[in-house]
Amino acid sequence: MTAEASLEAGVPDGAPTPGAPRTRGGGAVGRATPAGRGGRVLALLTGYVPRRLGQALIVLWIAFTAAFVLLQAMPGDAIMIRFENPELGLSPEQIADIRASYGVDDPVLIQYLHTFAGFIRGDFGYSVQSGTPVRQLIAEAFPQTLVLAAAGFVLAVLLAFAIAFLSASARFAWIRTALRSVPSLFVSVPVFWLGIVLIQFFSFRLGWVAVINPGPVEGLILPVLTLAVPIAAPIAQILTRSIDEVYTQPFVRVVQAKGASPSWVLWRNVLKNATLPTLTMAGILFGELIGGAVVTETVFGRSGIGRITEQAVANQDTPVLQAVVLLAATVFVLINLTVDLIYPKLDPRLARRIGGSR
Amino acid sequence: MIRAHRGWQGAAALGATLALVLTACGSDGGSGGNGEPSGDPVTGGTLVYLEHQPHNTLYPPAAGFYPNGGLVNNITDRLVYQDPQTLEFEPWIATDWEVNADATQYTFNLRGDVTFSDGSPLDATVVAANFDLYGLGDPDRALTVSEAVNNYASSEVVDADTVVFNFSAPAPGFLQAASTINSGLVSAGTLEGAFEDYGPGNGENVIGSGPFVITAEEIGTSVTLTAREDYAWAPESLQNQGRPYVDEVQVTVTPEDSVRVGALTSGQADVIRYVEAQDEAQVAGAGLDIYAPQTRGVNNSLSLRFTNPILSDIRVRQALIAGIDRQQVVDTIYTENYPLATSSLSSTALGYTDLEEYYAFDPERAADLLDEAGWTLGADGIRERDGQSLTLVVNEAAPQPRSFEALTLISQQLAEIGVDLQILRADAGTYTEAIQDADQVQIYHSMVGRADLDVIKSQYYSTNRNTLLNRDPATDAIADPELEALLAAVASEADGDTRIANSQAVQTYLAENAYVIPLFEEPQVFGSQTDVEGLSFESVGRPSFYEVWLDR
Repeated sequence: MTAEASLEAGVPDGAPTPGAPRTRGGGAVGRATPAGRGGRVLALLTGYVPRRLGQALIVLWIAFTAAFVLLQAMPGDAIMIRFENPELGLSPEQIADIRASYGVDDPVLIQYLHTFAGFIRGDFGYSVQSGTPVRQLIAEAFPQTLVLAAAGFVLAVLLAFAIAFLSASARFAWIRTALRSVPSLFVSVPVFWLGIVLIQFFSFRLGWVAVINPGPVEGLILPVLTLAVPIAAPIAQILTRSIDEVYTQPFVRVVQAKGASPSWVLWRNVLKNATLPTLTMAGILFGELIGGAVVTETVFGRSGIGRITEQAVANQDTPVLQAVVLLAATVFVLINLTVDLIYPKLDPRLARRIGGSR
Repeated sequence: MIRAHRGWQGAAALGATLALVLTACGSDGGSGGNGEPSGDPVTGGTLVYLEHQPHNTLYPPAAGFYPNGGLVNNITDRLVYQDPQTLEFEPWIATDWEVNADATQYTFNLRGDVTFSDGSPLDATVVAANFDLYGLGDPDRALTVSEAVNNYASSEVVDADTVVFNFSAPAPGFLQAASTINSGLVSAGTLEGAFEDYGPGNGENVIGSGPFVITAEEIGTSVTLTAREDYAWAPESLQNQGRPYVDEVQVTVTPEDSVRVGALTSGQADVIRYVEAQDEAQVAGAGLDIYAPQTRGVNNSLSLRFTNPILSDIRVRQALIAGIDRQQVVDTIYTENYPLATSSLSSTALGYTDLEEYYAFDPERAADLLDEAGWTLGADGIRERDGQSLTLVVNEAAPQPRSFEALTLISQQLAEIGVDLQILRADAGTYTEAIQDADQVQIYHSMVGRADLDVIKSQYYSTNRNTLLNRDPATDAIADPELEALLAAVASEADGDTRIANSQAVQTYLAENAYVIPLFEEPQVFGSQTDVEGLSFESVGRPSFYEVWLDR
């Protein structure tokens, strides 16, 4: 679906088709008759959305199965790692008894069906490493990561728009050049290093925010900043480039010739058209958010999906990893679905294709 | 300068003056701090304690991992108290005890006034149930046997305050085992749980009788320990006999080293565990206290797996020992809190004997030994024999301090005598499989801390940690029966002096056969604010918050 999204986004990003330019007052969607709009919504609900949901379920099932197979194929297993650890000093017989009680030596297909049935029921099993129910682990960690990722993403988008907007409207060439190099700088900053530098400076040196046992909002400030910077960079880059491209298109000159002010052109015409590829990029960047969360949560000692994942990977904690993979796949599917549903709001040509014959 | 309180050594007085001694040690360093102690302990306040990693279980027999042990030590009591300085035993929950002549039967008389934090009484029935589980385990609930409890057979409840334990063979280490955190006493309700019920997220339901109770927990991030107001059964030799002085201990997990140290030096934390050797100077430089209690067991060492064809030749093993400059390793990678090892056991461990002469650095002798063994220098500087190059693999011991750095230096040293030492860093599954195979990991880096003579058996015996792989995990064959017999003798002899002699026999045997390269005596290093008084450690370096008070 990501591929589909970027394909569609490629249309306005590349050479515009004649007739595409929109003038003030919005495009075709805005002028659609009520009956036409209702028909489109109906078409979405009866055809497009259920089809996409069906696809989503298949994707989730594939992700689940792939994760299961890959985890099985890895050397060793979670029980071995947990209980054959020499530090427990268990005898071979004691280990054999525990393996039997966990059923790890059952045929793989039986284990697969057992795990799958559990997931359908919403029972994700127990962490082998700690014995905590996986559902509880995820339920406690996910909201934390969600808040961190959402706040980081919002800040990243604001940062990106600020950079792109300023560099598009700055009067002096040198300011434009300077602003345009900001994303390259941002993207090359390692998250890990940035987190530590922010902590050292703002918390340990200046004492403005506590890192140890902070309040709920206080505890978000530095992690969100750490997460936002590297995400903002690619969004700003794409947005800046798209703005440049849209400016070169003929319709902009038409609007300018009609007497629109530069800010009108930027806000009403250019930005709207330049947002589409950016949106695609933002959807893809969510993966980066998850990666960033692993590092950010570790540096700041926050609980969250990132920390859980890191520890589960370290101990090859299969039930936890299985659930995390499924969670990540679900989030990706939802984000892509959302992005695809937003497209037509920005470009009516896509609405016709989605709601129409396809 | 670093003010080390190494294992409390040098502190002459104990008991009533523990807190004062610590403060005295803390202020003689002359690097600032709070000066003289301001007198009597103050009740109240919250101690902020930073852990390196989150705990993963509170099931006492599996709580050896330091983040687990740090909690279990504070929420549970034990039958017997082991003085961390003298390693002598004192009454705690048991008022007195009797051991029969061959150490197969132990009788404990219990205090009658002790309650668990859920209000249920700590009586003979629940004590018996604790050791039935710890001594026998329950595979169906994935609850393992305690490594420290050997030869356990059964319990008998004589009356409400008398319990008897029977063993199938002499169990001279049981008294010490009953004093460790692995034998922390929990309530009858807690004992009914499975492995899951002791896991993170369930801490508030793990009920002990200790001075602190877990009252809040955020999985993987923090645990709140709250003082028990009615606690009144501390070991007699402690100054504090009532409730803990602090109201709460906030245990917060801070995995990143620089953040943990920075939080301490900037005053956001009171005590931190796991100050890495390279960070000690920063903590000391800020005028803060460093504590480095010893782990008093088998030293941080390299086990040479003699069942591997290359290492089966004693000359190769001796060459490895002579080719490693251990003093340089300690000086370069560690600090003065990591003393050079002089035997397989720590000099602070029971039964230690000095065998330094076996571990001298002599690269010329190392080269000669390898020549004798037929390993000749190849074109690339690596020795060869019959077309096989002298390549060995050692595991990176992730739980041990700076394992990778130390092994990297050792690898450079061994390259000088033509030995190619590779360091295994792998995912957990690959790692766990590789370390069980003497042909994949020929040299095993590890240590184990326990203040009992049994510790040497724990490390090397075939059905315990088996670090030498004397028992081949694939075939169960024993390669060196003599070593097995010597180790078994340590754990099955009732007489104390004979046990010491038996432990020394093992150490000598390991040295003579060049089975082990001891590196250093491993401490647990903590950093602390100077106004934190009364911080103490059990016999292998787990913190006790019971007598901590804040002089502020």
